[in-house]
Amino acid sequence: MSLFDTIWNWCVDLLHNDIWFYLITTVVKLVLMFAVILAFVVLSVWIERRVAGWIQDRPGPNRAGIPLQLFQRFGSKEKQPLKDLLHFFGIPETCWIAKLCTWLRLDREIPTFGLMQPCLDGGKLFLKQELTPSYVRKVYFTIAPMLVLGPPMVAAAVIPFASSVSTQFGEINMVVANLAIGPLWIFAISGLSVYGLTLAGWSSNSKYPFLGGLRATAQLISYEVAMGLSIIPLLMVFSTLNMQDIVQYQADNGWTLLPLWGEGLSWQRWALMAPLALSFIIFVTCVFAEANRTPFDMAECETDLVGGYHSEYSSMKFASFFMGEYAAMVIGSALVVTLFLGGWSIGFGADAALHSVCSWLAVFCQFIMFLIKLVAFIFFFVWVRWTLPRFRWDQVMKLGWLVFLELAVANIFLTAAVLYFVK
Amino acid sequence: MDPAISSILFYLFAAMALICACAVVFARNPVTSAMSMALCFAATAALLFGMGAQFLGIIQIIVYAGAILVLFLFVVMMLDIRTEEEDSSFSVFRSLIRMAPGALVAGVLSAMICIAAIKLPGAGDWQNPLCQVCDSMGELCIGQQEAAAAPQGQLPYGGALPRLNPEAAARVLNPAISDSEAAAATSIPDVKLLGQRLFSQYNIAFVILSFALLAGTVGAVALSRKIRKD
Repeated sequence: MSLFDTIWNWCVDLLHNDIWFYLITTVVKLVLMFAVILAFVVLSVWIERRVAGWIQDRPGPNRAGIPLQLFQRFGSKEKQPLKDLLHFFGIPETCWIAKLCTWLRLDREIPTFGLMQPCLDGGKLFLKQELTPSYVRKVYFTIAPMLVLGPPMVAAAVIPFASSVSTQFGEINMVVANLAIGPLWIFAISGLSVYGLTLAGWSSNSKYPFLGGLRATAQLISYEVAMGLSIIPLLMVFSTLNMQDIVQYQADNGWTLLPLWGEGLSWQRWALMAPLALSFIIFVTCVFAEANRTPFDMAECETDLVGGYHSEYSSMKFASFFMGEYAAMVIGSALVVTLFLGGWSIGFGADAALHSVCSWLAVFCQFIMFLIKLVAFIFFFVWVRWTLPRFRWDQVMKLGWLVFLELAVANIFLTAAVLYFVK
Repeated sequence: MDPAISSILFYLFAAMALICACAVVFARNPVTSAMSMALCFAATAALLFGMGAQFLGIIQIIVYAGAILVLFLFVVMMLDIRTEEEDSSFSVFRSLIRMAPGALVAGVLSAMICIAAIKLPGAGDWQNPLCQVCDSMGELCIGQQEAAAAPQGQLPYGGALPRLNPEAAARVLNPAISDSEAAAATSIPDVKLLGQRLFSQYNIAFVILSFALLAGTVGAVALSRKIRKD
């Protein structure tokens, strides 16, 4: 028996053990989920800046390619790698291909369409001097950024990114933690990030950060109430709190906002459309408020508060706040996609058809579908930010307590009435 | 999970909850007290998770750690903490007098809980497994009575510590369930169990409590509202 066979058999034996199978699959899913979230944090910064540029009729970060001079430095004697390449294929330098390549700046750099920009910004923040003012409360000043960045990462554990696959060792469910209380877990954990904002404002021992911290606390608590109430109609329809089951239901019976197949075609399901659309509007607005994004970025409103709760922060601690905000945005988008837009489901019965062909192929396609929906919703997030002006502070509070809370409560009764009289 | 591991985690989180609870009292800085309280709530939620009551655990975090304690912090932060921290007139006698009423109330409450626990039938017998004690608590443990009706020969509980049994829980939710289906139940749908009990057996108490809460809310708004003269 060869060495390879021995190792292979050992791996198979290991996977046949239930506990090891569970541990290994969980770690792999965990790493994948973290990689997706972190990659999307970087990607959403890039999307934000490109879309902002597009909306404001300017290019945005479109350079930051990898300059070819770098390769010249590292040993390549030739000055023009593009010319070399053209010569290798026998293409004349006056040909349209060469002109197109020159127009795309391929003779000077490897283009990345500005994607390197967030990475370079991260590098810049990493290398900057870390300044901790002498008057801050050091312990809380240090743990506050961690409390902002940590919760969204943990909250991501219950978001399903594909359906399940059964292998010879057991079933792999493509969600890190298949809890029976999915949405509640996300509310609970991402609600904890309010501690980070509050403590950052308080520990800075300075006027404007403190005001920013107070605003963040008041705003996050107010909108958490309406957010929790707004998904109750949804849970009444799904009658489950398990995220994987919620998405499976949508894959079989039509997405919440697009019931075009399965049971979704019945008129009873369409009668539910009004309350569900209302809860979508309330929920999405609350997600904007919870992620502290414009038009709700009262906690870091530059015109009244200098920089808000992170005025005294620099270097990587500031970067943690920045990343935490974008991570919250990614998780919020993932939650909206999962609850309202079908999560990983491809739709129109394609999930079941693909599963009958090959379940790994189905899982892969569903994962890609989930990422596409996520990018689309992040685009929507950014679009709103660069279109709407910021609210005034009292308007934010009035909207939360006097409009959305009442609407969400009324919506619960409306849904109950529709469910009682129609179904 | 392995009963041994879950027991270790139970004692770990119980110890954490107790230490944090002590830190709430002994910390000089009120913000540290509030944060210790948050950690204490988190540890309690972890205990509930370990016993299979996921919904109760997450509600503990959402309501206490996520909302009530943030409001505490909100108020505490606006106090002048420097004077509290730099209180130089510290004396053992004065701090004892300050702590006495709180210690008295806490002592009486914990004594009541201890007495209630000791008076449970079978609790005095050291050899008696905890699950039987839990059984006799009846209504306090959702699904435990039904667990006693589980097939003989196998212990209807997961480990040494009292825990809700998924099989019994499945039987409570659906009495007509077949034995094989009940045995296949792996997780406790404690949202459903709680909902069923709250909205059937304890419905009147639940509604009365909700009205008390509503009255409290209305009262708070009425008291805090300023009536403009103009």
